[in-house]
Amino acid sequence: MKNSQLYKGSLTTIVMKLLEENGRMYGYEITQKVKEITKGELKITEGALYPALHKLEAEGVLEVEIENVDNRLRKYYKLTEKGTSETINRLAELEEFIRNMQSIVNPKLT
Amino acid sequence: MKLSQEQIERLYKFTRQHYVEYYDLQTELVDHLANAIEEQWQQNPKLSFEEALQIEFKKFGVFGFMDVVEQRQSVLNKKYNKLVLSELKTFFSVPKIIGTVAAIGIVFYFIKSITLGALVVQSLFFILVVLYFLGIAILMQRNKKRNKQNGKKWLLKEIMFGYSSSAGLINLPIQFALHLKGENYHDGLLLLFSFLLILLGLTEYIMLVLIPSKAEDFLKETYPEYKIAN
Repeated sequence: MKNSQLYKGSLTTIVMKLLEENGRMYGYEITQKVKEITKGELKITEGALYPALHKLEAEGVLEVEIENVDNRLRKYYKLTEKGTSETINRLAELEEFIRNMQSIVNPKLT
Repeated sequence: MKLSQEQIERLYKFTRQHYVEYYDLQTELVDHLANAIEEQWQQNPKLSFEEALQIEFKKFGVFGFMDVVEQRQSVLNKKYNKLVLSELKTFFSVPKIIGTVAAIGIVFYFIKSITLGALVVQSLFFILVVLYFLGIAILMQRNKKRNKQNGKKWLLKEIMFGYSSSAGLINLPIQFALHLKGENYHDGLLLLFSFLLILLGLTEYIMLVLIPSKAEDFLKETYPEYKIAN
């Protein structure tokens, strides 16, 4: 998808959904996972992902763990308890948004 | 193929060259770049380390790491402000509020009982402002020394030790004090002055003494890597 503006507002929801499914993940893993699921159609830019992660961390939605992997420190993110319940809300919101967009783009004629 | 220790060091240096001063952010970006380079090598083993690095860096866009750094700064500044606020709140809840109210009362009777009350209030505000700058200068000096010793900078630590954006805090009392004129103030106003003086004094105490003294705990809580790296 060329137009990144379209999914920008949903970036945090995408991240939370992935973490809900996969437990803990690190930044690079998230970018790859999104690419894999969408078969390369949707690319999360590095410059947007990390600010989003840091913001969620500050909001108490995510917490971090550090591990030493391959000569380097790796920062893993995972949902907090608050984050888990927040994810359900945001997913519901996103789904509703998608439904609304669909009815605007593709209005059913009655 | 995995990156060697030297190549990891090179990546740390690369982030520093691109204006990422803080170790906490460097670490995350280094791991990201390292993963991406290793991924590139899987597809094209002939690619040199530097070439692969340049390709990955380009993906961050024209501003490089600036966005990431700026956002992190604003997030941690907010965190710091929240920290100050939550400490301040404890002085206005049981049991500390008893002391706070008593202190306000004492200041109130003091400025009420003396002549030239406005001048005294002005001087008190002025003293608090001077003390603030003095305190910040001392904190920054101490932090600089410590940074030299181990070479790693932590963003939240820098904020706690004097780089916070607290100009508003200082500007307000100065403006306030400058506008004080005349002699006979209403009791209610005097009470307000006393309250503001104590509030400012408490905020300074929290920012200059309390939070720096607990800094290690806050840092360990924010950065799980803090313990490993130091």
